[in-house]
Amino acid sequence: MIEIFRNMWRRKFRTFLTIFGIVIGIFAFTVMGSMALKLNKMIDGGKKYITGQISIAPKGSGYETTGGTLPVDTINQISKIEGVQAVGAMVSLMVKEPNTDDSASFSMGPMPTIYGSDFKSAFKNRNWETMAMKDGVMLDQNSKDDEVSIGITVAADNNLKVGDNFNIRGRNFKVVGIVDKTMTGPDQYVFMNIKPARELLVESNPFMKSLYEQGSLNLEDVNSMAGVSWKDGVDSEVVAQRIKDQFGDKVSVMSPVKMGEMIDKASATMNSIILGSALLALIVGLFSIVNTMVMSVSERTKEIGIKKAIGASPLSIASEYTLEAGIIGLIGGAIGLGLGVGTASILNAQMASKGGEIFLLEPSFMVGVIVFSFVIGVIAGVIPAIRASKLKVVDAIREL
Amino acid sequence: MTKIVAKAQGIKKSYKMSRRNIIHALQGVDLEVDEGDFSAIIGPSGCGKSTLMHILGLLDRPDEGHLEIDGENMSQLKEKKAYRMRAKKIGFIFQGFNLIPTLTAYENVLLAGKYGGQTMSERRERAKKLLDLLGLKDRISHKPNELSGGQQQRVAIARALMNDPILILADEPTGELDSKTSLEIMAILKKLNREQNKTFLIVTHNMDVANDCKKIIHMQDGKVVK
Repeated sequence: MIEIFRNMWRRKFRTFLTIFGIVIGIFAFTVMGSMALKLNKMIDGGKKYITGQISIAPKGSGYETTGGTLPVDTINQISKIEGVQAVGAMVSLMVKEPNTDDSASFSMGPMPTIYGSDFKSAFKNRNWETMAMKDGVMLDQNSKDDEVSIGITVAADNNLKVGDNFNIRGRNFKVVGIVDKTMTGPDQYVFMNIKPARELLVESNPFMKSLYEQGSLNLEDVNSMAGVSWKDGVDSEVVAQRIKDQFGDKVSVMSPVKMGEMIDKASATMNSIILGSALLALIVGLFSIVNTMVMSVSERTKEIGIKKAIGASPLSIASEYTLEAGIIGLIGGAIGLGLGVGTASILNAQMASKGGEIFLLEPSFMVGVIVFSFVIGVIAGVIPAIRASKLKVVDAIREL
Repeated sequence: MTKIVAKAQGIKKSYKMSRRNIIHALQGVDLEVDEGDFSAIIGPSGCGKSTLMHILGLLDRPDEGHLEIDGENMSQLKEKKAYRMRAKKIGFIFQGFNLIPTLTAYENVLLAGKYGGQTMSERRERAKKLLDLLGLKDRISHKPNELSGGQQQRVAIARALMNDPILILADEPTGELDSKTSLEIMAILKKLNREQNKTFLIVTHNMDVANDCKKIIHMQDGKVVK
């Protein structure tokens, strides 16, 4: 083992450059990988929620985007469709109006969002009925209109505790609960009753506001979307199709299975792009190890000859070189991981104040990166090591 | 009866340098090395001395002929087994000392013990004993570049003795040493032969070295002539 380090130290600059190649690869892999992990976790959380209900949005809008409103009549009619257990109206809008003049307000992660739900409705998401609370309580049918439960990131960013007042779009709310960290969307949510959320939405939209003031807009018709729960033993896809058949001209229906498939497809594409680019950097690093080890073998032909002459087995020669390459990978991996974790942590700390962390640094991922870097080194060392072990002693000896 | 350490009969070896240039390095060598021999192989450059040494040391295989080491037939030996024989039965001393530059004197000697299958404690004990015997007790932690030529060759001798081989092959062991140091090294080899009955086969150009040996084998044009 000591000999391996001494051999690496012999060509310090070359060893440094090789390790640097791996450092870049592993750094990219760590940063990109932790970003992919975070996004996957967020997507998983979202997928769990989305696949737990049939989501309905006004025609012309997508999930969580407001393109219109869903009239209460439609909601009531949908709730009467065969197989439907209940329909829960929801309103979502940004906690703060985005400032288009401030580029710093651009966010990679989800923005703080108001989530107004009809807690009196019998609607329940099948996968997400309750949320674990860090402090206080989650809103329920008895909650008052000026009460909110907030995600942990919203609480941290606004320095809020249970019992504090939270001013949202000029209106005061009382924080009654803080949801435990989910590492997903709800960390950025402000849960409130649907009524104040409707009022805030109308207030934020000049067109709706004028209609409302003229008395042409019923507040109950202001729903950005709705969740439909189905009765036990009924196929969600069949129910979704029934809604589509009857109200397809008025609403977009997102069935749990199709949405799940869509999410999987999107996340697979995203993961391939993210991890593909990181792997590319890693392959470059891998070839730098191959190059270094091939050069080492030709430089050390004489030594290999001596070792073989005094009885070294081909396996011991091969394992010596493989291990050396593995250690180069390991050192590069450890430095790359350190830099990656440092960078991700710094960016996370900065992003936390601008809309959420975008990297997820899981210990198992970090251990995996270290093991992976060693394996990469070993793989890179295999060919040069085999070359070394196959050197004919007499040819190597002739160099003496 | 004296034990035969190595026996070569009709050994032939050619090297194809190009399509038209084939060097017949050995053209039927017969040789017998007995236990306790202290022999020199001499002859002009290109007469096949080194090739013969490589074949006797199992570093290369003959094209034709019969080779026995310690009573075992080595003519068709595969490299997979050859390294075990080299490690346990043969010691090498080279002209250019050929120590591993990154290892200390002690570690260089230890390495041979490792390849010879000795346990860690066995090889530590033996390496220290050998380096002590060769007067290198205070040099064990020095790297080769911190040692004189004579000291390096003594480390190489200790390394060659590490697995208590039955045959020690020395290729110009004094070739890179001054005359005084050459005498010292030869005195050590003779002492090992005399006191421990070690078998040496020494390839040399130096007639002083050859005359110091009990037997001289003359080679010419790939054959033993005397």
